[in-house]
Amino acid sequence: MFKTPRFRSIAGFALVGAVALGLGACSAGGGGDDASGDGGDLTTIGFVAVGPEGGWRTANEKNIQDSFSEENGFELKYAPATNGDQNSQITAFTSFIDEDVDAILLSATEATGWESILERAKEAEIPVVLLDRGIEPNDTELYTSHIAPDNVGISASAAEWANEQFPDGANYVVLEGPPGLSVVNDRNKGWDETVDSKLTKLESQSANWSTEEAKSVFETILKANNNDVQLVFAQNDEMGLGAALAVEEAGLKPGTDVKIITIDGTKAALEALAAGRLSFVAEYNPLFGDTAIDVVNKAIAGDKVESDIVVPSVTFDSPEAATTALPDRQY
Amino acid sequence: MSNTSSGAASFLKTSVKQPYIWAIAALVLLLIINLIKDPSYLGISVNAVTGDLSGNLIDILRASAPIMMIAVGMTLVIATRGIDLSVGSVMAVSGAVSMEFMHDAGDGSLGSALMAIALALGISAFLGLINGVLVSIVGLQPFITTLIMMLAGRGLAKVITSGQNTSASNEFFRWIANGTVLGFPVVFIIGAVIVALVALLVRRSALGLMIESIGINPKAARMAGIRPVGLLIFVYILSGVLAGVAGIFSTASVMTVEVAKTGFSSEMDAILAVVIGGTSLAGGKFSLTGSVIGALLIATLDKTIVFLAIPSSATPAFKAIVIVAICLLQSQRVRALFSQRRARTSTPRKEAVSA
Repeated sequence: MFKTPRFRSIAGFALVGAVALGLGACSAGGGGDDASGDGGDLTTIGFVAVGPEGGWRTANEKNIQDSFSEENGFELKYAPATNGDQNSQITAFTSFIDEDVDAILLSATEATGWESILERAKEAEIPVVLLDRGIEPNDTELYTSHIAPDNVGISASAAEWANEQFPDGANYVVLEGPPGLSVVNDRNKGWDETVDSKLTKLESQSANWSTEEAKSVFETILKANNNDVQLVFAQNDEMGLGAALAVEEAGLKPGTDVKIITIDGTKAALEALAAGRLSFVAEYNPLFGDTAIDVVNKAIAGDKVESDIVVPSVTFDSPEAATTALPDRQY
Repeated sequence: MSNTSSGAASFLKTSVKQPYIWAIAALVLLLIINLIKDPSYLGISVNAVTGDLSGNLIDILRASAPIMMIAVGMTLVIATRGIDLSVGSVMAVSGAVSMEFMHDAGDGSLGSALMAIALALGISAFLGLINGVLVSIVGLQPFITTLIMMLAGRGLAKVITSGQNTSASNEFFRWIANGTVLGFPVVFIIGAVIVALVALLVRRSALGLMIESIGINPKAARMAGIRPVGLLIFVYILSGVLAGVAGIFSTASVMTVEVAKTGFSSEMDAILAVVIGGTSLAGGKFSLTGSVIGALLIATLDKTIVFLAIPSSATPAFKAIVIVAICLLQSQRVRALFSQRRARTSTPRKEAVSA
């Protein structure tokens, strides 16, 4: 009986039904909160997001979701990308245009390839606010505003610290994110422009924002250079922590033998800084929900908004600074 | 003595005919390239501080262990004409379960580590069971079934850790991936033992033959009295469990599960290792040795890219070129071309001798 085609088709239908029900339940769950306010009092916002990626992203997206709450008069539709895939973001973006939401927030997984879809949003007169990740080519005509901490400035401040620490020069390694992201390009730019020519770049490798990959990459780099590396510039906290593990495994001491710089400033990184395993953490402030609300309200009202808004960030250069900041770290 | 040497010679003779001979050649070539860059590349020394053996070869063995696990599981699945795209996600689930459990237990004891491993492998086996049932009993296509599981699995990992990268501290669990026995990495020893067990299981019983027969001709296999349902469920469960082991290996090395990164696109590494090892994606005959060599090659390739300081933007291209070259050399036509040329050049000589 199990093998009859009829059973198979029934089972197939049952499965499809179950999946459909599951999906229905999901969307019902997402939209359930607005059942009361469906009359149109709430401003509908589509949030094309990156989804779980690391501590920083989680803090950022949670902050946005908390800020655009019903109490503040918003209904936020959250659409994270499937495994960081740009196509799934474009699909979500298109359906937000079709639903005719009041505004769209976009954190793009890839910098390029957004022109035509942003053009469509413009024709539909839906304001688009870019959060964190920018687009390339950076055509300010296509979106309302870009709110983000200044990547170039942050990595430049990291490079300044490195210049101070190693006035006589040193060998350093850059652990970058996946090639092609605007974040990666900007963080490279700020670093390369500011870092002293006395410091020698041995290698620049991508570790895909991942602790595990960073550990594996950096253990090999240490071997390739006979442990003659004094500085690591990791473009996010996770990779910096991976590099610290590799340093420890090689029998060296992070902080004394190899100094590690990271960007983001998550709790895990500040804890490591307080313990002396990292040497410098530059914050990349994820909490800009209030600024985003302000911009969205202005854009919907038709007011003029600045096309580039920089979120202020701080740096931590000592265990003491990290210890002071830790208790009220939100992410 | 002479017995073993003739055994080795015959092994050499048979392996020259294997398709994975090119993978071995590429492996040796990569090592030679590294050796040219740094003559001490193959050197293994004792780390003065930690007291363990350290060297590039040790790193390669360590890095190859998780790939080896998923590649072996994938080999058996592919041999049945199936494919398992969910291995990377199952790795993430397994890592998420073990990290979350040990994070909550918080005592860092051996007991909680073993419990975490049991839980992780149990859930991995269950996900494999779902794949197997959907493929064998319901009759869904393996590609679609495991694609769904790939998406669902990563989702599940995110649910388990509520989307956070979760860390835990546990000495024993850390030892699995970072520790050494007599200087050798534990993770590789465990990996090798598991591969040997799987190989014994499928090659010393009729299991391997039955799996191949399903892949070669399912109808004929059924006529011959082989019941595919149980076998299919078995290979998918095995693939799930091995992916679970791989997940434990890769999260234990940093004691953190990164829900979006752990095992990400590992299914591609596994499929590549299988193909490099000479198992056809069309199913049928399979080679576990080949897949293990494939896994070693991929680990070596990854390490070589970093060792040679190839710019990060060029790494995917470099990897692709090496792999395309190996696949080309292995392909039936290219191999036929080689043997034809050899035949053509050898025929006239024969005539000359006879004349």
